[in-house]
Amino acid sequence: MTVVVGWTPDARGYAALVRGAREARAHGEDLLVVNATTGTAAVDDRFAAASDVTEVRSLLASLGIEAEVRQPVVRDVTEALLGVTEEVDASVLVIGIRHRSPVGKLIMGSTAQRILLDARCPVLAVKADDSPR
Amino acid sequence: MSAAGTRPAPDGPAPDGPAADGSANRAAPGPDRAQYGLAAFLALVGVLTLVDSAGLRPGFADQVVQPSAFGYVIGAALVLLAVLLAVATARGDRAEGEAGEDVDLTQRTDWRTLAGLAGVLVATVALLDRLGWAIVGALLFAGAATVLGNRHWVRNLLIGAVLSVASWYGFYVGLGIPIPAGVLDGIL
Amino acid sequence: MDALLTGFELALTPENLLYAVVGVLLGTAVGVLPGIGPAMTVALLLPVTYNVSPSAALIMFAGIYYGGMYGGSTTSILLNTPGESSSVITALEGNKMAKAGRAAQALATAAIGSFVAGTISTVLLVALAPTVADWVVVLGAPSYFALMVLALIAVTSVLGSSKLRGFISLALGLTIGLVGTATGQARLTFGNPLLADGIDIVVVAVAIFAVGEALWVAAHLRRRPLEIIPVGRPWMDRADWRRSWKPWLRGTAYGFPFGALPAGGAEMPTFLSYITERRLAGKHKAEFGKGAIEGVAGPEAANNASAAGTLVPLLAIGLPTTATAAVILAAMQGYGLQPGPQLFEAEPELVWTLLASLFVANTLLLVINLPMAPLWAKLLRIPRPYLYAGILFFAVLGAYSVNFQWFDVALLGLFGALGFAMRRFGLPVLPLIVGVILGPRLEEQLGQALQLSQGDVSALWGEPVAVVVYALIAVLLLGPLVLRLIPGRQGPERLEDRVDELEEEVRR
Repeated sequence: MTVVVGWTPDARGYAALVRGAREARAHGEDLLVVNATTGTAAVDDRFAAASDVTEVRSLLASLGIEAEVRQPVVRDVTEALLGVTEEVDASVLVIGIRHRSPVGKLIMGSTAQRILLDARCPVLAVKADDSPR
Repeated sequence: MSAAGTRPAPDGPAPDGPAADGSANRAAPGPDRAQYGLAAFLALVGVLTLVDSAGLRPGFADQVVQPSAFGYVIGAALVLLAVLLAVATARGDRAEGEAGEDVDLTQRTDWRTLAGLAGVLVATVALLDRLGWAIVGALLFAGAATVLGNRHWVRNLLIGAVLSVASWYGFYVGLGIPIPAGVLDGIL
Repeated sequence: MDALLTGFELALTPENLLYAVVGVLLGTAVGVLPGIGPAMTVALLLPVTYNVSPSAALIMFAGIYYGGMYGGSTTSILLNTPGESSSVITALEGNKMAKAGRAAQALATAAIGSFVAGTISTVLLVALAPTVADWVVVLGAPSYFALMVLALIAVTSVLGSSKLRGFISLALGLTIGLVGTATGQARLTFGNPLLADGIDIVVVAVAIFAVGEALWVAAHLRRRPLEIIPVGRPWMDRADWRRSWKPWLRGTAYGFPFGALPAGGAEMPTFLSYITERRLAGKHKAEFGKGAIEGVAGPEAANNASAAGTLVPLLAIGLPTTATAAVILAAMQGYGLQPGPQLFEAEPELVWTLLASLFVANTLLLVINLPMAPLWAKLLRIPRPYLYAGILFFAVLGAYSVNFQWFDVALLGLFGALGFAMRRFGLPVLPLIVGVILGPRLEEQLGQALQLSQGDVSALWGEPVAVVVYALIAVLLLGPLVLRLIPGRQGPERLEDRVDELEEEVRR
């Protein structure tokens, strides 16, 4: 079984990553880190730079976790993430979420909400200010 | 340029060379066949220009440079260039696509997106006189954005509508150019 | 001098100042945005010329031209994706500097260097252009005809990698220029009355620069996001200043003459400037390839100086040597202005206002851009579907606004397809546009020249200037062939190959 983490190089992404690493270690499972982008803009702040990825790899390796980092360029980030969970038959999907005002949610829609509704595996939603104890 | 040069060069848009030619080095791609199409297009435009020039009446009696003179020169040049391009192509000349900041030449041409954009443009031409700029402009923007990969078509339509109405008023008020309002005549 | 002062007075009126600010901001923005360049922007803005005063429109276009040069350097440094060939060299050292944490200094030396080079070059332009105009105004039709042939041959055969493709592009442009009515007869109109007045240059320019480019990018869109290097406000310390000022001056010395020559362009001077700086670097030589500030300062100055240089032939002779200059020329013709020596006599106020506004634009660029660099980088987050849909939207609006006929939009689509094909087959765009613009004028001058001589063809080389120009053309065309024939000597290397080599060498 595999723990899948939806990762972005920001506070909530790292919160999810840390939580996912703990899950993987606690249950002796593999860790799959997914950082997807649609590539619609020339620069995407939520797409990790090579240096970030290297850092994450070495961090996880030092924790003794078997981890793979994927950075696919896809049409739809949510679909891609859910596709990966099915492909590897994930035991849990960890995502980072942030607080949203009701108005903001109305306008932008919510990736997290779509994941929660459509995922076939258990989803663990972590908040960024939920710093690891 | 390559070993193919020893073969007599075919003139005009000729079929590609013998298949045995490329078998020696499979790694090197064959001739850029699409370039024969370009050569044919150039030859066609050249012949059209020549025919058109031949159909012109002589100019005024004291006119030294006849109206047909430039047409003859340019038409002939086009035909000559078409032949040269075909020869160069047969000898292994390949076109190098234009690079750019947003261009990734390593991937194949995305014909689906292109066809979609062409469709949007054709629809724009067809509807422009009937519906007016304000509506067609909005459809054009929304259609193009959707074809280019943004799936929020409601939002695309909204942005398109704002852009087209704003540009209509911008031309009308800012530049003093009244764009025909089409079916929205009296509303805008 | 008085004329220049009057020019400043007019350039600093609130209205003209506003257009300068808009031009500079717009120019920098499109320089930063991937996929849009100054030529495309000026083409998309051609409709404003229908109802904005010529001086205001030209001031704005000049601002876009200068701003675009500057904006291009920002992306070269922060993203390592040089959009235009003129900023390839900047990216070599600039991006290395940024990666080493010196992005702020790289941007600063680019901005200040552009300002220094732009100002010096504009002074040279002010000194030279009227002199050249005085000199050209006495030339007869034969010399003028020869000069135009030279311009066509130069943009066709000197720039770009393949002469064959250059000439194909030129021939297509001249054909488009044929369409319309000549001495009462319809040429290439296929009996269509809508073509009787010829094809509007706005439609051709917008189609080739905007629609063709949008289609080409859409078919090959780079999806993987690029890594941008975060940057704060650009600044330099004393050591950076000491290392930068000489490269700025040397870069200017390379850039201006190359820009002013009919075979202008910014690639050659930026390349030469880089080589020179590397040779002269002394104790900093080891830094080249790892982020040497001289390697940004010199080429950036050369780049901007050449932009100013291209305005000499444009204003004084009426010959465009870059794509943006060609579109600006089209705008001037739209106003019924004929760039060239007559312009200085007929519209001195306009010319001097334009020249003065170049100083203004240069200063604005420095004042606005130094603090705004982080903001410009934000533009790169604009989703590309919106960017390219917007380009198509404004392209269609521009073509439609010519006559408010669907027919022009259909032509836009057709020439847009041609623009796509040209990019696919590596045909350079510049010869086509210059051919469309200069073709009809070439015919006119030839007609005049032969009219005066009553058909005696030898009149074409009857003026000494014409003879010199034809000799130059012969050198341009035959020079490379002759060099290749000399035994033991390799053919002249293509500039592109040498730049590629340099890139390999530096990136290792």
